[in-house]
Amino acid sequence: MSDGSDAGPGSDPDGGGDPTPPPNADALPAAGSGERGVHDRLPPALRAVVPSPGRGFPAVRLAVRNLSRQRLRAALAAVGIVIGVFAVVSLGMLGTALQVAATDELGGIGNQVVVSPNAEAGVESLNDRDLSAIRRAASGRGEVIPLKATGTTASNGDRRTVAQVYGTTDPRALFGESAGAAPAYLRGGAVVGADVAEALDLSVGGTVTVESNDYHVVAILPEATAISPVQADSAVVISPGEFATTGYSQVVVRADSAADASAVADGVRERLNAREVRVSVFSLSSLLDRITEFFALLNGFLIAVAAVSLVVAGVSIFNVMLMTVSERRGEIGVLRAVGIHRTEVLRTLLVEATLLGVAGGAVGATLGLVGVLAVALSTELPVTAVFVPTNALVFAGAFGFGALVALVGGLYPAYRAATDPPVEALRG
Amino acid sequence: MSPPPADGPTAGCDGPESRPAGAGEYTRDPSADARDDAPVRLDGVSKRYEGGGGSVVALDDVEFRVDRGEVVAVVGPSGSGKSTMLNLLGLLDAPTEGRVLLRGRPTAGLSDRATTDVRRETIGFVFQDFHLLPTLSAVENVALPTTFLPDDATARAEELLERVGLGERLDHVPGELSGGQKQRVAIARSLVNRPDVVLADEPTGNLDRDTARDVLAEFRRVADGGVGVVAVTHDDLVTEYADRTVELVDGVVRRE
Repeated sequence: MSDGSDAGPGSDPDGGGDPTPPPNADALPAAGSGERGVHDRLPPALRAVVPSPGRGFPAVRLAVRNLSRQRLRAALAAVGIVIGVFAVVSLGMLGTALQVAATDELGGIGNQVVVSPNAEAGVESLNDRDLSAIRRAASGRGEVIPLKATGTTASNGDRRTVAQVYGTTDPRALFGESAGAAPAYLRGGAVVGADVAEALDLSVGGTVTVESNDYHVVAILPEATAISPVQADSAVVISPGEFATTGYSQVVVRADSAADASAVADGVRERLNAREVRVSVFSLSSLLDRITEFFALLNGFLIAVAAVSLVVAGVSIFNVMLMTVSERRGEIGVLRAVGIHRTEVLRTLLVEATLLGVAGGAVGATLGLVGVLAVALSTELPVTAVFVPTNALVFAGAFGFGALVALVGGLYPAYRAATDPPVEALRG
Repeated sequence: MSPPPADGPTAGCDGPESRPAGAGEYTRDPSADARDDAPVRLDGVSKRYEGGGGSVVALDDVEFRVDRGEVVAVVGPSGSGKSTMLNLLGLLDAPTEGRVLLRGRPTAGLSDRATTDVRRETIGFVFQDFHLLPTLSAVENVALPTTFLPDDATARAEELLERVGLGERLDHVPGELSGGQKQRVAIARSLVNRPDVVLADEPTGNLDRDTARDVLAEFRRVADGGVGVVAVTHDDLVTEYADRTVELVDGVVRRE
């Protein structure tokens, strides 16, 4: 018999040891018996798992064919997912970008701790002991900048303006990124803030007069971009030796991170305010936490609203699959009659529903990303704030949720079709 | 081209032991009636439907068998139980009483999964309105029962289609085929798994006379290939091509 060498006649899977197989349906040679590929030589158990080359995944193949039958209906069902995923991606990514941009903007103050004498307790200035206590509290966590500061009038010829005069040797540490061309160590002369320079029409090499002393202008600070407790724009920075007082009016700690800043603030309070409240410690890190929390809440709320539209999309997929399944009842009955298992019918229909979600999700997520980029490019929102890890998560999450919603929408219709007795289904 | 018809009882000498495990605990007695080797047999089968006004008897204590190589026509008026009988033979439905035996093995108590496997491996179906999947080509429709099996049956599907005279229409979808061509695709589909028996429900019901003759001749050739063919029909033409005709009236076999 010509197909004795075949994997076994379909009607006799266990007949391996049988010397005389039953006459078969026909004497056709086995399918491609002369040209069996690698896949055909795999053990049967493996062949069932490894998809055959060129055949792909049958459930996917059937599902794609079925979807192509009712293109408009499939497209409309997918549009629901497109809208839902678009809403989640655009609102979620925009929210994250705003949060990132705002945190960048406020980042500077979050890391600063400003220690000032507590005038109410009669402390007028901070002495060297206070300073070393602060240094100990801040050791390993950031840079300590002792400041002598006073508000006074600065002038250049006839022009006058109110300025905040700081005495420090280290303007660069004080102003951080907005220090511009300020020298790392200030011996003599003055570093002038942007507003003061403009008001007094000063440029590098000019002269500024503070309390009848003339100072050579060595650098002008660029306009401050970040919010900071030290007012860079109205500052005139001179050497601390120019101040008559010996104590410090402020000590600024520029911590390495917001967490370090709160640790330093706690440490300073512990060391200096144990017996009486000698100093007031000002730190914005907790305020910054509050702001971040608010943004996260806002973002979560926006995403939740958008997710509701995705759930609605899931309902529409449920509806479409229910329609599809009842229209194709006879066909599904035929599948079952000719030997397709319940689980295989179920899988095919679930793939069909999920494909709607995957296609809709891909389109929606892409549109959402494009939309957010368009917003970023046409406003002051920096594009770099859009491309952050959180947004990759929002993108993937929205896409995945879209696919999941479609899968869940397909569950009941697929289950109903798969468990429909073939007799009933064939009768129509 | 077609092999000689199977030679009756000896065809079953592979023995029921080689049936898939779980197909029942039937052990073949060497002295048993050779009738047990029939691809499918109904043994004292009754089927009752519970309706609103009591139970309706669709089949009443029916004995029926089909052998390899024979075409059996089942005729009878509407409501005589023909379709019920075909559903029972095809394991699409379970009898209220009696046994459905495939090659002598009882089929009662099989799980849905096992029943589906047995159906795919031993039974081919041909329906009155063809029931081809409109999105699949002729070849894909023929290979449909093997879709989820690891082995690719495309080559076999093509050969079967060539055999039923549709070698030129392999990639046509059902919408591009005539009724007779569709029914021949359906016949090819019923053979793709090398079944023991092909069950046809009104196979000529939607065909004109000439096409019906072609299709019936095709069934004749299928039977000559060693397959049992059962055709349930209203059509007297079918009986011309049948080896035997069984008449059902009110769920009882009237004449054989």
